Formats: sequence, C-alpha cells, structure tokens
Amino acid sequence: MARGPLAIPPEIRSRLKRLRLRTRSDLGTGGFGLHPSRNKGAGLEFAAYRAYEPGDEPRRIDWKLFARSDKFFVREAEQESPVSVWILIDASASMGQADRARPDWSRLDAAKLMALCIAELAQQQGDRFGWMSLQEAALSLAEPRSGRAQMDRLQIDFARLVAAGTFPDAATLAPLWERIGAHDLVLFLSDCFDERGIALIERLAKAGREVLCVQMLTVEERDFPFDGGYRFLDPESGEALIGDGKALRDSFFARFAAARAALAERLDAAGIRHATHVLDEPVDLPLRAFFGRGGAAE
Amino acid sequence: MTPLLLAPLGLAALAALALPLVIHLRRRTEEVPVDFAALRWLEAMPRPRRKLQLDELLLLALRLLLVALLALLLARPAVLGWEDDGARVLVAPGVDAAAAREAAGPEAELRWIAPSFPELAAGAPAPATATASLIRQFDAELPEGAPLTIIVPPVLDGVDAGRLRLTREVTWRIVAGEGQADRPGPPASPALAVRHADKQAQALRYFRAAASAWSDTPRFDAATGSALPPRDSVLVWLTPGPVPQAVGDWIGAGGTALLGDTAQIAMPASSAALWRDAAGNALVEGGPMGAGRVLRFTRPLVPAAMPELLDPSFAATLRDLVSPAAPPPGRVSAAAHAPTDGAAPFPLPPRELAPWLGVLIALAFLAERLLATRRRRFAP
Repeated sequence: MARGPLAIPPEIRSRLKRLRLRTRSDLGTGGFGLHPSRNKGAGLEFAAYRAYEPGDEPRRIDWKLFARSDKFFVREAEQESPVSVWILIDASASMGQADRARPDWSRLDAAKLMALCIAELAQQQGDRFGWMSLQEAALSLAEPRSGRAQMDRLQIDFARLVAAGTFPDAATLAPLWERIGAHDLVLFLSDCFDERGIALIERLAKAGREVLCVQMLTVEERDFPFDGGYRFLDPESGEALIGDGKALRDSFFARFAAARAALAERLDAAGIRHATHVLDEPVDLPLRAFFGRGGAAE
Repeated sequence: MTPLLLAPLGLAALAALALPLVIHLRRRTEEVPVDFAALRWLEAMPRPRRKLQLDELLLLALRLLLVALLALLLARPAVLGWEDDGARVLVAPGVDAAAAREAAGPEAELRWIAPSFPELAAGAPAPATATASLIRQFDAELPEGAPLTIIVPPVLDGVDAGRLRLTREVTWRIVAGEGQADRPGPPASPALAVRHADKQAQALRYFRAAASAWSDTPRFDAATGSALPPRDSVLVWLTPGPVPQAVGDWIGAGGTALLGDTAQIAMPASSAALWRDAAGNALVEGGPMGAGRVLRFTRPLVPAAMPELLDPSFAATLRDLVSPAAPPPGRVSAAAHAPTDGAAPFPLPPRELAPWLGVLIALAFLAERLLATRRRRFAP
C-alpha cells in the first residue's frame, strides 16, 4: 500500500493521556497485589530468557550472558500488570466500506487508528498488547507483548491489512481460543453486521474474558443521505438491491435502529460493554466511553 | 412608454419551456452503484415513487428563463414613446460647415439635409435636389416635442411647389453660405449642325433661318458628309438612307439629333408625336435613345408637304423641340420660405427591443453554461 504509517493525530494523542486501560476487575474489588502475576515482561522477578528481537530495548539485553554465549538474550521478568490487551479487528470486505463523501477513510482505516490508540494506551502503562485480524482466508495474529518493537510490528501488520472476504468461520478462529488468556481484555472492532462475530464475542464473554465491542458505522448508515436511484451492493455477499434513496430511507431507519437495539440488548445480556463509532466522529470517543473518568459514556 | 409585442404569435414558442422541464425530470432509470454493507436492513420492495422530481432547480430556472427570452424575441417586443427628445439641427447643403457649427453651438448634433441625413463631420453632400422633401421627412420621423433647428443659406435650393408646413415650430436660421456660384444657365439658343446630301441644299434654308431667328450671332454650320459636331450641338441629319452607326453611337452617348424623313433608323419604342399640325397629324416624332434624344420629321422638308416650314412660329417651335428640358424651378429666398407649423403629426413606429433582448439572452446563456459546466456538478 502506498499509504504512509498510521499516526495518531495530536489532539487525539493529548486526549489519550487522560485515559487508562482498566478492566472490570480494576474497577471493582480487584485490589493491588491480591493475585500474583504470571505474566512476563520488564520487572523485578526473573521469569525467563528469550532471544533478542530487533526493537527490544538494549538495556534489557543480559550482557553477562552475551559474554558467555556470544548471543543476545533478553531477560524477561514477571510483569506487574496482569492484563494483556487483545485487539480483534474485523477485516472482512464490509469493513472496507467508506462514505462517498470521504472515499479514502473506510471503516477499516478507522478501526486501525482506534487499535493504534489502544496500543498507545497499553504502551503508556506498560501493558502488553496483541492483535488479530479476522479475515476469511487466514487469521493473522500477534502475541501480546509490550515495547516499541510491538508497536512497529503493529504498524507493519496494519499496513498490509486490506479488507476482503467474509468473516472467518469457527475452524479458522480455533487458534484464538488458545491465545486469549482468562483475564485478558478483548477489544472487538467490527461493523457487527456478521452473526459469527457477535457469536464469537458472546462466547468469549461467557468464557470469562472481558470483551469491549465497538461497532463501526459509516455516516451513510447513520444518515442515509441517498436521494435518487441507487444500486446498493453488499460487498460480502455480492447481493444488490435497486431502489430510490428517499423511498428507502424511513424503513431503513426503523429497521436498522431495531437491529441495533437488538444487538445492544444481546451484548448487554452477555455482559459486553459496547459503543458505536461513526466515521465522522473522533476515533477516541468510544475509548473515552470505556476508559474515561468513571468509566461511563460522556 | 407602452410596451407591446409586434408578433404576439411568437409567444407560442413558450411551449418550448417543456424542454428544460423534461431534461430536468429525475431520470428514474439512473442507478448509482454504492457499497452498502447494511443491505439486509433495506426493504427490498420500495413503493415506486409517483411524485415528479426535478433536479438542479437553479439551472432549471436559468434554462427556463433562456427559453422564455428566446420566445419573447420571436414575439418582437417593442415600446411606444421611448424616444430621444433632444434638440436636432439640420444644415442645408450650401451652408459653410464651420459657420453652421458656430451658429448652432459646439455641442449640438448637426446633420446635413441629404438622403439618410449624414453627420456634419461626414463632409458636405452633393447639392440636394429635394431639400424640402427631406426636411418634411426628418420632421415626420422626429418624436413629437423634439425641438428642431434648420440652418439654411440665403438662397435655398431644391424646394418644391408646396410651402414647408411641418408638425412643429422650427427655428429657421439663415447663415451666409459659401460663395454660391450661379449655375450656368442653358445657352440662349441651341447650335445647329446640319449634315445633308448634295441635292438637299434647299432644305438648309429653313434651319439657317431658324438659327438666325434665335440669335444675332447664329451658331449654325452645314456640311455634306458625316463629320459629327460637338456634343452640345443639335445634329440635323438630312442625308437619306440608313443612318451610320457612328451617328447612332453619338446620340446614344447623349447627343440630340433631328433626322430627315428619308433617314432610316430604328426609332425608340417610346417615341411619340412631339409636334402636330393643326389637323392633328404628327410632324415630328421621337423619344429618348440611350442617354440622348432622337427626333424625326415625318414629312419631306418642302413647304408643299409641310406648310409649317413657312409658318412664322417655325423657329420658336423648332427651338422648343431641340432644347433640353429646363429644370423645374427649385430655388427660393430662404427668408421668404420659413416653414409654418400645424401639420398633423405622424404616428412614430414603435421602437424594437431586439438588440437589448439579444444582450440579455447572451448573458443568460453565459450564466447557464457556467452553471452547467462547473466542476462541482460532476463530482460524485
């Protein structure tokens, strides 16, 4: 792709400084020091050695071991934070939809930027973060880590990510269950139009993971600004519907609102906190709703 | 100022207003493809819309205006009574241009009394022959109430038999003209040049006698042969037989010839009897030939056949026959010919608005093109 690396706009970056990634357990009784952490990272208690990867901080290289073995090893200690953040990005073809008014800003672009914001938040507080892009063909996946290198990997991965295909089926999703730990925080960025995606996060929530869901909507889905004859194409199923924008508007508003209300009810029932992002809104708005002061929507 | 339409049927072109309306009717077949992932919440069978919809109302309005203006142009709009009431000054030919300018003042709009009334700066026109008629025309075409000044030389040329009676009171100013050379009057008596055959000398005497009767210094020459006299002489051709081609050409170029009855020539078709005897029989017939005139005796020039040769009035009659027609009297003392007012004014033709409407149509067209080709219109 010819596009440069994603960058968080300065005004969003300044607003991010006021947010902290918090899990539900943080808000409640999960006091400091109650459970010993089993997670690896930069800390005091030694956990393991692992081979150096480009991007690791040089200060974390064990120089004595380098003197003995002539290889770079990184000391990993147990991390204070128990939380690793998983970002699940829906990369099916419907996520590639953009508004006609702004054709270079698709749902997927907004989701990438939002993921970058989440990674930035995790990075700021030393949490580990990983991501999966959910696509028909393959599930691309990055183990949760912290550090600059993880950030760079995220940029490279996202630069290659193009929306295509449909939502992956259960078989493709199988590795997901092995990776996401019991107390991990899962952020699901999707248009939530696919039943399989909703089923996935419902299962995750039932399995004890904390799931946050952001529904990405285009401006056209919110405002339906069509006036005149249109051929509406579903990018995933390839179905088409020819109709007059004005005539379709009212029924679409009613049916779409009902569908969204039903979705909200389902997610609430599953204990999934959810927010909606429309493409013309600032990308950090759902994050403020999740992690802002008091943890409630503004 | 009364607006009116000279060809109201042109308004039928307003039917063309339907054209832009049809163009702007929402095209129902238009289908813009658009990605829409939330397709399943669109109702599959929307009711077809019955209401007429129009696109781009501003452009439509401009196009309607354009068509309406064109229809109006066909209907030939005009206004009555929208005239320039400014003062006019007419200058008769013969007045010195500088003197006329001085008399009228530096700002006045001066025109010559000549066909199509050229500006003073266009130079003096040829001496007019119908000055009075032109003055009447100018006065009739002038809107009521517009003051008119006419500058004339002391002696006005080209007037006709009627006194000038105009629709308004006119300022009649007499300005000394440039030294008006008297036109040379026609010579007192025509010159006769007789060409005859040898045995016809006896007819010569009547012409010589007539020439002597006309003037104390008779201009008369007689010869045999066919040497042609100067153009201002009257050729008396008595030689019998066909008239040579050279003589016919001489007449056609503007000469006047009087032929004997034995001369053979094709007389012009418009020839008529010009002199009749007491019994009413033609003695001389003739008519114009080319630029000249040809006359012919119908009888031999002997007193037995034509007793009028011996008549005392022969010389005077002959002179009247061969002299060119005198111009009609057209010269008058300007002071005595001041026009009077009181003629009934003429209704002026309404002024057409086509040029202004043309400009308006061009502007509307330009605006329509600008609006129709602006880039934003083709943006998705």
